[in-house]
Amino acid sequence: MQPHKPSDSFILKLMIAVTALIAAVAVSSCLGSSSVAPASVLKYIAGARDGLSDTELLIIGRIRIPRVITSALVGGALACVGCIMQGLFKNPMADPSILGISSGSALGAAIAIVTGLNGMIIGEGFTGSYIGAILGALVTWAAVFFIAKGSGEYDTTSTLLAGIAISSIMSALITVMMTLHMENMERVYLWMLGTFSSATVIKTKVLAIVVFVFVPMLIIIAPRIDVLKLGREAALSLGVKQSRTLGITFCVSSVLLAFCVANSGIIGFVGLIIPHIVAFFKVYKMRQKMILCFFTGAVFMVICDSIAKTIVAPGEMAIGAITSLIGAPYFLWLLIKSRIAAGKGGVRS
Amino acid sequence: MNLSISELTVRYGKRAVLDNVSHEFSEGLAHCLIGPNGCGKTTLIKALVEKYAASGEISYVPQDVYGQIALTVYDTVALGRYDRSRFFSGLTKEDKEKVDKAIEIMGLSDLTGRIFDTLSGGEKQRCMVARAIAQDTPWTILDEPSSNLDVKHNLHIMKTFRELKEKEGKSFIIVLHDVNTAAEFADRFVVMKEGRIVKATDTLDREMLSGVFEASFSESITPSGRKVFFAE
Repeated sequence: MQPHKPSDSFILKLMIAVTALIAAVAVSSCLGSSSVAPASVLKYIAGARDGLSDTELLIIGRIRIPRVITSALVGGALACVGCIMQGLFKNPMADPSILGISSGSALGAAIAIVTGLNGMIIGEGFTGSYIGAILGALVTWAAVFFIAKGSGEYDTTSTLLAGIAISSIMSALITVMMTLHMENMERVYLWMLGTFSSATVIKTKVLAIVVFVFVPMLIIIAPRIDVLKLGREAALSLGVKQSRTLGITFCVSSVLLAFCVANSGIIGFVGLIIPHIVAFFKVYKMRQKMILCFFTGAVFMVICDSIAKTIVAPGEMAIGAITSLIGAPYFLWLLIKSRIAAGKGGVRS
Repeated sequence: MNLSISELTVRYGKRAVLDNVSHEFSEGLAHCLIGPNGCGKTTLIKALVEKYAASGEISYVPQDVYGQIALTVYDTVALGRYDRSRFFSGLTKEDKEKVDKAIEIMGLSDLTGRIFDTLSGGEKQRCMVARAIAQDTPWTILDEPSSNLDVKHNLHIMKTFRELKEKEGKSFIIVLHDVNTAAEFADRFVVMKEGRIVKATDTLDREMLSGVFEASFSESITPSGRKVFFAE
């Protein structure tokens, strides 16, 4: 028997994604509103910093590189969370926002902005809105977690419904807050649209620690999501408890989302679309899919941010608009292509 | 190891789906649960799965064939070899042999690269049974495994279960609606009605089936000496 082994080509796909990420990071580091020669950026990355001016060192080391790395980390993390949400809820439309964490985070940031706490800075770049976003996410996480659990077993339906309901409440509260504080509406709105312009070295380091701790945790959990697709009891017979897996996934995803939103605001579409794009490339096992989602999401976000920071330079376009404008047509193209292939007797999942 | 349920009552709201049910399933046999719709068969076997899942002694094939399994047939069957203690390593040589054997037994060799979601209902059912065979547990519990199967494949999986029982000493608990398939392949019949086990027996008879299913049954003997039942 010659079993079909998609893993045979997985390493190749992974290598392509990693190479694409390195290329995207290198190119994006050269782009920005200030003119820094690409050669200087490459010298900086290569460690040959002796010939660089102080201005170049400042722009590259404290602005460009943190921003590019933050965008890659956020893109990768959002794609991973989206991927695991779609698997866990058996819903191809699931994305990170269904847990309500993004809305809770946005509410926390909005409260900080309208109450003037945004001016409070703890450390380099840790503004009031950053702290507010983390706290908002944690409060939302606690609300969804305990409401979904109730007095019984933690299940996917109650989590989904609790997440959607709390997300609606949080969004409504943001609207109320913006209406009551019209003078701050623009700032709240711009924060919610998403940007990587506030990235700093220390924030990037904190984000990197969070991502490199919690994304591998999701990757470890990932095969359990495949097993859960067999149904609750069949999974139980294989030693996988649905409620425990759901609880752990929810907690880990919430921490990741909290830090992503705090760093960049709400960026939609990435968590929804990247897992589908990876599936188009015939990567199906959850662990492989998540690993590839991380790198693909990172590449996608770095490209989108490169466009966001150059298309209306010296101004910036909202990153959320770019992710949708770039991602949606590409996704539609893949969809149409796969439908045509299916019509010719091909297979699409 | 025998599987047992003792004084089990399960309620959905005020309705008792299982009402003080006790029974012991002896190992090495094929037990068949029969009874009308809603009599508690699925609830009973789910209770057994809940009770014995941690022992690693059982595998379970649910009644529903789940959607949204975007895995190849090979990978779906290989889920039967999932071991949560192995974080990163893949299938061992032994695992691969068991997966290959299960795929071959269920006649899925030509479908290993297909995506589960694109299979027909019957192919999905065979894939799920193959996954349970790959799990290689002493007990296999199946909820209507033949509901989507044609006559040929229904016969094939029932013969497979009999072979696994006789050659490898496996035990089965199978929910079946077809009393003739049950009569042909099961060693023991657990007859249920309205949340209770009304009879546990080695043979089926016309009067009992008529009483349980509230339909008139007649029986006949085939040229090969097999007793078959007809509902009228």
